[in-house]
Amino acid sequence: MTAADLKPEVRAALVERLTALADDELVLGHRDAEWTGHAPILEEDIAIANVAQDEIGHAVLWYGLVQELTGADPDHLAFFRDAREFRSAALVEQPRGDWAFTMLRQYLFDTYEAELLPRLMRSTYTPISEVAAKVNREELFHLRHSALWVERLAFGTDESRRRLQAAVNDLWPLMPQLLAALPGDALLAAEGIYPDTAELAGAVMPRLEGELARLELSLPATDAQGGADAAVAAGTRSERGDGLLAALLADMQSVARADPTAESW
Amino acid sequence: MSGPHNKSAAEGSAQGSVPGADTQWPRWEVLKKDNERKPHQAVGSVHAADAEHALLMARTVFARRPAAVSMWVAPATRIHTFTAEELTRLPAATDADTGPLGRYLVVVKSTNRRSMTFGDLKGEVEAASVSAALALALELAGDEPVLALWLIETDSVIRSEPDDADPWFGPAQDKTYKQQSVYSSRATASKDAAEGVPG
Repeated sequence: MTAADLKPEVRAALVERLTALADDELVLGHRDAEWTGHAPILEEDIAIANVAQDEIGHAVLWYGLVQELTGADPDHLAFFRDAREFRSAALVEQPRGDWAFTMLRQYLFDTYEAELLPRLMRSTYTPISEVAAKVNREELFHLRHSALWVERLAFGTDESRRRLQAAVNDLWPLMPQLLAALPGDALLAAEGIYPDTAELAGAVMPRLEGELARLELSLPATDAQGGADAAVAAGTRSERGDGLLAALLADMQSVARADPTAESW
Repeated sequence: MSGPHNKSAAEGSAQGSVPGADTQWPRWEVLKKDNERKPHQAVGSVHAADAEHALLMARTVFARRPAAVSMWVAPATRIHTFTAEELTRLPAATDADTGPLGRYLVVVKSTNRRSMTFGDLKGEVEAASVSAALALALELAGDEPVLALWLIETDSVIRSEPDDADPWFGPAQDKTYKQQSVYSSRATASKDAAEGVPG
């Protein structure tokens, strides 16, 4: 299936989902890039910069699929939209925190992608299956790296374990929102374009629960009653009003917006 | 870090409080094989917490863009190194060298003309001591000049798996490695414009 085969309502739903995929990658890539020059050792500084660049590269690929459907320029989508127009998840918007926080966030996201991307490689929409195959290859290395760190922090020192558990307490409640369906996802699932989000969550969450239990970490509740932010638990991907994304965009977009006509600098 | 309120080296238990102490993680030497026609070549070192970490850091630092089909790392403490000068005054191996047999990978630097690699893997020897291994290693080097020689204890080497090759080294095949000078800057833009180079 290609763009010409899409019914109008399916096309609109697909633009929303592709935007969410791209925004997650871009925002996570930017958060990772905030470590450049500040990582614990030189080798990890290079490693986290590589991961950041890969994630931003994946965003470019997903924005490219949006462009095929709407004509929107990827640079414009990245640098000239406001926070309310973004569809990124709260998980990727959180400030980078300490190394344990960044590595755990990356691990949670990499594991989600390890389940999502093989499903997208089977998408009936050919452009998605092609991009997913490219992205998946790099994500396998990301997961190897983030999983290595999470395991070492879990069984390292009392301090590394304390920091990792604190990151779990902060990040775990944000997982349901990352996995929640967007309003148009059911249409996409019916066409085989995007996986059923409940089935995807049913693969991601038990996998993570098993891994984090093996690392002897305790998991906080993820539902609204358990203390997580209600809007996040309800799966809303916009209008959260926490200001984190707006602050990130003010930084990330400042150079592009300083001179929108600039072609080199 | 120094000051009247800091613990003295004698009181401090942390490595970092000893002036001049190496606070880095252990050093690992990295060997990379560019393609099936080339041997593994020593390309540099990484600091890392343990063997698996060292292998991932090696991939990150040395093979994100440059071509590779396989990478090995070995802890620097398990590599016996000899300069050409040291090789001229070593005592010959004797019959006293009768420890348990050990295997050693032989890496030889035979030219000063390379900037990206230090030496090439020449093969593997089995011997009952380092000095006995060295004699076999020099035979392996043959008539080539030996500017430096490493014996890497084979059982200390950690290797990328065949299944790692695609996710680790595959992406580099599709991406162009560009020097920073490729990208236009304010300094080069006017020159490019004058020469009709598109920005």
